[in-house]
Amino acid sequence: MRLLGLCWQQRAGCLQVLACQILLLTLGLAGLSFTGLGIDYLRSILQPGSPAPRWLFGFQPPADWTPMQVVSAIAGAVITAAVLRALLTWLSGISLARLVHRGLVADLQATVYAKLQRLSFSFFDRQSTGAILNRATGDIQSIRTFVDTVMIQSIVTIVSLGLYMSYMLSIHVGLTFACLATLPLLWTACILFSRAVHPQYVHGRELFDRMILTLAECVQGVNVIKGFAREREMAARFEADNLAVKSQQQKIFWRVSTFSPALDLLTQVNLVVLFIYGGKLVIDGVLPLGTGLVVFAGLLQQFSNQVSATAQIANGVQESLTGAGRVFEILDAPLGVQSPDRPHPLPVCRGAVRFEQVTFDYTAGNSVLQSVDFAVAPGECVAIVGETGSGKSALLSLIPRFYDPAAGRVLIDGHDVRTLDVQELRRHVGMVFQESFLFSDTVAANIGFAKAGATSDELIAAASAARAHEFITALPEGYATVLGESGVDLSGGQRQRLAIARALLANPSILLLDDPTAAIDPETEHEILGAIENAIAGRTTFIVAHRLSTLQRADRIIVLQQGRIVATGTHHELLQREGSYRRAALLQMVDDESRALLIAASHEVEAAV
Amino acid sequence: MSLLAAAGIPTSKGFTAAAAEPSALDWRILRRILTHTRPYAAKRNTIFALTVARAIQKPAMAWAIAAVINGPITGGDYRGAVWGAAGFFALAVLTELTFHFRQRLQLELGEAVVHDLRNDVFQQLQRMPLSYFNKTKLGRILGRVITDIESVRRGVQNVFFFSLLAFGQMAGAAGLMLYYNWVLFCVLLAVGPLVWLTNRHFHPRLSVHSRAAAESQSRLTGSVAETVKGMRVIQGYARQRESDDRYGRLIDRHSDNNVGLAHESSLYLPLLELHSQVFLAALLVVGGYGALHGFAGMEIGSLIAFFFLPSLFFQSLQHLGNLYTQAITSMAGAERVFQLLDLKPDWTDAPHALDLPDPRTAHGRADAPASATTPGTKGARVEFRDVSFAYEPGRMVLNNLCFTAAAGETVALVGHTGSGKTSIVNLIAKFYLPTSGDILIDGQEIRTLRGESLRSQMGIVLQTNFLFTGTVLENIRLGRPGATDAEVRAAATSLDCLDLLESLPQGFATEVGERGTSLSLGQRQLICFTRALLANPRILILDEATSSVDTITESRLQHALDRLLATRTSFVVAHRLSTIRRADQILVLDQGCIVERGPHLQLLARRGAYHALYRQFALAE
Repeated sequence: MRLLGLCWQQRAGCLQVLACQILLLTLGLAGLSFTGLGIDYLRSILQPGSPAPRWLFGFQPPADWTPMQVVSAIAGAVITAAVLRALLTWLSGISLARLVHRGLVADLQATVYAKLQRLSFSFFDRQSTGAILNRATGDIQSIRTFVDTVMIQSIVTIVSLGLYMSYMLSIHVGLTFACLATLPLLWTACILFSRAVHPQYVHGRELFDRMILTLAECVQGVNVIKGFAREREMAARFEADNLAVKSQQQKIFWRVSTFSPALDLLTQVNLVVLFIYGGKLVIDGVLPLGTGLVVFAGLLQQFSNQVSATAQIANGVQESLTGAGRVFEILDAPLGVQSPDRPHPLPVCRGAVRFEQVTFDYTAGNSVLQSVDFAVAPGECVAIVGETGSGKSALLSLIPRFYDPAAGRVLIDGHDVRTLDVQELRRHVGMVFQESFLFSDTVAANIGFAKAGATSDELIAAASAARAHEFITALPEGYATVLGESGVDLSGGQRQRLAIARALLANPSILLLDDPTAAIDPETEHEILGAIENAIAGRTTFIVAHRLSTLQRADRIIVLQQGRIVATGTHHELLQREGSYRRAALLQMVDDESRALLIAASHEVEAAV
Repeated sequence: MSLLAAAGIPTSKGFTAAAAEPSALDWRILRRILTHTRPYAAKRNTIFALTVARAIQKPAMAWAIAAVINGPITGGDYRGAVWGAAGFFALAVLTELTFHFRQRLQLELGEAVVHDLRNDVFQQLQRMPLSYFNKTKLGRILGRVITDIESVRRGVQNVFFFSLLAFGQMAGAAGLMLYYNWVLFCVLLAVGPLVWLTNRHFHPRLSVHSRAAAESQSRLTGSVAETVKGMRVIQGYARQRESDDRYGRLIDRHSDNNVGLAHESSLYLPLLELHSQVFLAALLVVGGYGALHGFAGMEIGSLIAFFFLPSLFFQSLQHLGNLYTQAITSMAGAERVFQLLDLKPDWTDAPHALDLPDPRTAHGRADAPASATTPGTKGARVEFRDVSFAYEPGRMVLNNLCFTAAAGETVALVGHTGSGKTSIVNLIAKFYLPTSGDILIDGQEIRTLRGESLRSQMGIVLQTNFLFTGTVLENIRLGRPGATDAEVRAAATSLDCLDLLESLPQGFATEVGERGTSLSLGQRQLICFTRALLANPRILILDEATSSVDTITESRLQHALDRLLATRTSFVVAHRLSTIRRADQILVLDQGCIVERGPHLQLLARRGAYHALYRQFALAE
């Protein structure tokens, strides 16, 4: 129903297309009957015994015309009809394309995209990237198909079937019914076929995708496969997948190549009926040869085309509807995180952060954080450590309100984040993740992403602070270098420094660094440590880290275990206490014996100086 | 067949497929495609026969329609009309039977050839050494398998047989028309060039537009993909409105391209139709004149025949044009596939290469290595004798390396980026062959060993590892496909990380998601450690394996790792001091040479390169 609503919004376009189509049909019929008329006229002249031609619309050629003139006039009419038809086809083709591509689909695409961008993260956690992509592209295409083929074509088909039918009926009632006797049969066959073969196609597509996935993963994971000597298992798996595709295809082929000949044969049966019954009528002089029999033969052909087209449409309807349903699901998805109606303005943010008994879960009942409670003064640097899965990233993501806590409050400068405007809140927060996402765009655009309309001086200042300016200017086109799939590949350290520059550009008062060194070659890690050092200065910073140097620098360390704070304090305080922090730190520290050797060496160096 | 059939709105299939590349038919490639049909020669020859039969049948049917109308019906012979109809019906049944078999066999043949080609490509890929995959992008390989092999299918399924069919029909229709009336046929021929010219004019334009539309479509999809992946960044920086605008512009361009395509095709199709109408009009005038004035033996009968036959002729002509562009595309696709198949791997295992004897299977269980928890044999002895290596000729990465790792020893490789640590690891795993010198595993030269048998006794964990689509359990089991659930759990227990894996949303049954993205780096790494341990390797390689694991998890892993390393020959590339200092032997590398070697304290005391490096790492900590 909503689909119809969509069309209604574009009703002017829809009506225009429909009007064109109906005119087209009439003209097509006219062209056909003119040809039949010509044949009949010639026959009546040449074979005096045969019946006189039936003139259309009561039009009779003037009696003083020579037969040749009449024939030429008819030929002229045929051509005129054809030219008109061509013009109209062109027109309707264009207006259909305008309607569908420019109007309907473009609108829908833009709406879905806008909605996607405003959905909360819990939506993206639940859905795989592939599924979302399918909705935003494939499913919208199926809506296009719906409007394009189902709505327009089916109306056209129904109207044209009606027109053909009434034309045939006007020629001869009995013959029409006799010839169309197989019609219901044809219709049922088409529907049955579509129903039988469609799931097979879907299944075939799935099998094909699986085969491609196997291949792609074998290429991407070639290190692992070769490293564990699993070539044979993988080859067997691929061959099995490949064979599955083949045998599924064979099944489809059998059906397809039974169906189309069967359909053809039914059409031929119509012709046979026409010969036997229609032939008798012509012989009896009831039916004219040209406008009768020949035109009938042509129309029958057209009829079966239309019927099988309609069956295809019937098949497409279900698919389009499910596609449309999935698109509407996105449009109807609750926004989740939303700004309040009357947000508390926060033009300047000092950077005081407070967690009040915060409990949080991604899925209900599966607590990630439990009664987390702490306060951070503006400008303080807080390091968060904990085992993998202990809730470090979750804690960070509550601050810019990517999620809402299940219980408790998160306060910024004394205001619950839920009372603030989300956009404004996030402008005060800069963030860098484990693996930073960069867009396939220029370096400048990637840094400038944090602040619309940033000047190039600002960009360079941010890049310099992040120690990225130097390597950027060394890139082939400096700040205008395009990154990404088709562009330049950056090292992990370079990517992270760009991300830090991006975070710094808007000069946020709160900075979140989620383990920014994790995915980086340890050798180049020191490159970004300096950048981090610069970034932290003067801001409230939360950093997930495991480097001793960073931890030592932090004003406070929060140790998380299974969603609870088990210890807080400075590096030195925590080192005194027995616990997981002490164990981990000791592991990283230089043992006494080595330290003795190192210190001895440095003393000697100093002594030498 | 009526002219109206040609007037129906054709599908756009022909246009999208026609990515015409201006190159001529290449008979060598054609012949090679044909050789791929050889295993199905019987099928192929049957199809040829059926195609020829069908090429005759179709004009015959058109002729039969005309004959029945002209003969008995016009002549008033009712019995004759019934017989004629019966004959027509018999012919129709025969034709459709041929149709069924021809279509089925043809599709099956195409699928069979494509199936074989895909297997060939996969096998070829497996023969390729690692260096190939470092040079080749995944997209290119997928392009071969998806697009190019599919276009070969189209070539086999359509081009071969359909062009034969189209030729046959054209010739048949032309012959019949000539037989009926040569003057009318000449009129028809006059329209022919018009059709041909129209095709020539529109085909390249249509393919340009459809390519532009396909490209803007893929850009649109790419943009959505990027948005979804970068959603944290977009929402984090509150840039939704700007992204909306950017996407809006892409949509506009895409719809412009689509409308442009519609412009061309809605001009092209009516024009084609117009041609057949022009011919009909000409037919009426010329035929009418002939019939009225007794010119050239024309009569109503031949006019009626001409009502049915030309559509067959025109359709075939049009079809042939499409087929030609299709043939060229298929040819280009086939060429690329064959190029991949013909690619010679830089090196392969020597034909007489032997399996590395596996002491783990020598006593007792032949299929599965001893349980991961019980220390098996001591590991393998690895020896480098004067090994040099270059990825590209002339740029040596390793120079005359000599060292021995006794069975069960742990060797730490230390050095700056580019000093050759990872290259050594790559050579031990036989991912590459040394440029000169020998590598001996248990006393056997690595070139005389089958790479697969060597690596089946090896476990490798890198800094970031690929996880396959599937569950955590499936990914771990890759280390040893036959392992039971209990053995997998035992491996996790011995790494002291069972609780961490079980605390995932669905425990071991958690789907790792696209390339492991639903797990944190630390969690992914735990899976890889467990996977390596499950394989119970004799040689273990850890290349910065703990770098991305957080400190607290690492400290838990550490104890387990010590035990893991103790019972096998291990090579460890690491910056974490804890791992290095326990090594039996440390090799300090600088620009592909070993500059220092020995245990930790001894090297520190020496105050050379290692001392300097260690100081640097210790300060960074």
